[in-house]
Amino acid sequence: MRIFQRIIEFSRSIASSKIEGATLKGLKTSDLFTNEDIDYIQKNLSDADLLKERHLLKRQINKDKDFKKLQDQLSIPKSKIRWNYVAVAILVGIIVSSVIITSSPVNHSFQDEVFLPDAINPGTDKATLTLEDGSKIQINKDTELTTKSANIKGKQIVYNNSTATLNDTKYNYLTIPRGGQFSIVLSDGTKVWLNSESQLKYPIKFIEGTPRVVELIYGEAYFDVSPVSENQAADFHVLHNDHAIQVLGTEFNLKSYKDESKIYTTLVEGEVTINFKEKKHLLSPNEQSVLNLHNNKLTVSKVDVYAETSWKDGIFAFEKKPLKEIMAVLSRWYDIKVIFTKSDVSDKRFYGALRKDQNITSILERIKEYDIIKEYEIKGKTIVLR
Amino acid sequence: MLSAKEFKTLFDQKYVPLCLFTNKYINDIEVSKDIVQDVFIKIWAKKITFRDKNCIHSYLYKSVKNKSLDYLKSSRYKFSEALSDHDMARLESDSYFYREIAVIETSDMIDDAINTLPKKCAQIIRLSMKGLTNLSVAEELEISHNTVKAQKKIAYRRLKPLLGGIYMMGLVFISTLSNFNL
Repeated sequence: MRIFQRIIEFSRSIASSKIEGATLKGLKTSDLFTNEDIDYIQKNLSDADLLKERHLLKRQINKDKDFKKLQDQLSIPKSKIRWNYVAVAILVGIIVSSVIITSSPVNHSFQDEVFLPDAINPGTDKATLTLEDGSKIQINKDTELTTKSANIKGKQIVYNNSTATLNDTKYNYLTIPRGGQFSIVLSDGTKVWLNSESQLKYPIKFIEGTPRVVELIYGEAYFDVSPVSENQAADFHVLHNDHAIQVLGTEFNLKSYKDESKIYTTLVEGEVTINFKEKKHLLSPNEQSVLNLHNNKLTVSKVDVYAETSWKDGIFAFEKKPLKEIMAVLSRWYDIKVIFTKSDVSDKRFYGALRKDQNITSILERIKEYDIIKEYEIKGKTIVLR
Repeated sequence: MLSAKEFKTLFDQKYVPLCLFTNKYINDIEVSKDIVQDVFIKIWAKKITFRDKNCIHSYLYKSVKNKSLDYLKSSRYKFSEALSDHDMARLESDSYFYREIAVIETSDMIDDAINTLPKKCAQIIRLSMKGLTNLSVAEELEISHNTVKAQKKIAYRRLKPLLGGIYMMGLVFISTLSNFNL
């Protein structure tokens, strides 16, 4: 077993060197690996033909289909007696491990034990669109719909720049529930990504020559704004209560959740001005302003823009964030509630990168493996961390 | 013993790499898949208990190797293909075993790490790893040479903790030392 551990550590140092583009010559040989072995490994990681070969082989493997086959095989008992033996074993396993995965009665068939869908799933693309007449449409990634002003397909709603001029601006609302996300292209080409638990109010068509105004009622949105130069010099404004952002063709992230008392504006590219209570603050790229709603103080600092905005690309990234904050983010995406039994655990800070499509259980297992928590318990949609 | 969830997670993480590894012995992907599936079935059906993650992975590799060698020595296989004594000895050797594990594990680690990067950045890193110079990467992706350099820097900063620290698929937690009682 120690040999295996050494192989893993060795693999890790190779992976590290490879990514850095550093030469592998510096790697120390050992009783496990000679120079020849290192060359062989190196070749297998960079030779185009070998990589292609591996890629083609991977395509012949359908992991999900094969797992289903396994489930079926495992549920077909060789004899009735054997099935009972296995069912009893599962019951014991559940009690001993003290991790409650399902609250259903245990004399389920073997197959159900493996099959049982999670009460907790990662989020998906879903939203509710409220039209100008108040009617609501539920949207998900499979929705395909065309209205007078918009085309809904895939994970996006695209508003067209219909030639009909409107005398008064009509608004639509896009509401994202917990466990959802969606993106939208406004009639001027501005792209907006909306995170879980967010609501955006916007006109179905911007009137030419007048300022373009949208409102983030609550939640988190990433804006890629169509430049002023392409919109007859019309400014773009994002309102949120008393906090207004004036934009000059740019990319930024605005975060203001209902259950938090801070408004975060992160500038990726371009220039924005934040207007709050008659004070103006200009932001430069890679800066983030935080408005504390308790004392109305606004502070600006440099941040890791990637960590603040990677959510729109399917990754959660945390730079030195306390576990309770990490859990708050996860709870919106998985639509769960997280309870800490010890407050010192929730304050521990971490760096992390997580794929958003991951299973919540694998995340919790990792945290447990690092001895950060002793145990976790899943009860329906609530997770208790001990 | 593994819970149903832990079993599925293990399968999700290790099934494909193990099939590729087994194929290094069998050179037939369909048979390789069968062998790996048999090993997973055994883990579940016999309710095997493991002390930690390394134990599970080590067991998986050893099991598929043993099953593969059994298959290659079976009369069925020998009838149609048959390996020379020399080839057989090579496959039975520890060094072949360790080497192939390293290839599979390393490529998995690299893929998982790169998958946490934004698309463009990931593309740049993958091309660089193939041996392309910054200039060639810039040409290939139609971006500036400086962008390539800058993106690579960002990527290394981001990936260093993933690979330098305790690494697990898709997730890394490195707590700041002051908060950890070591």
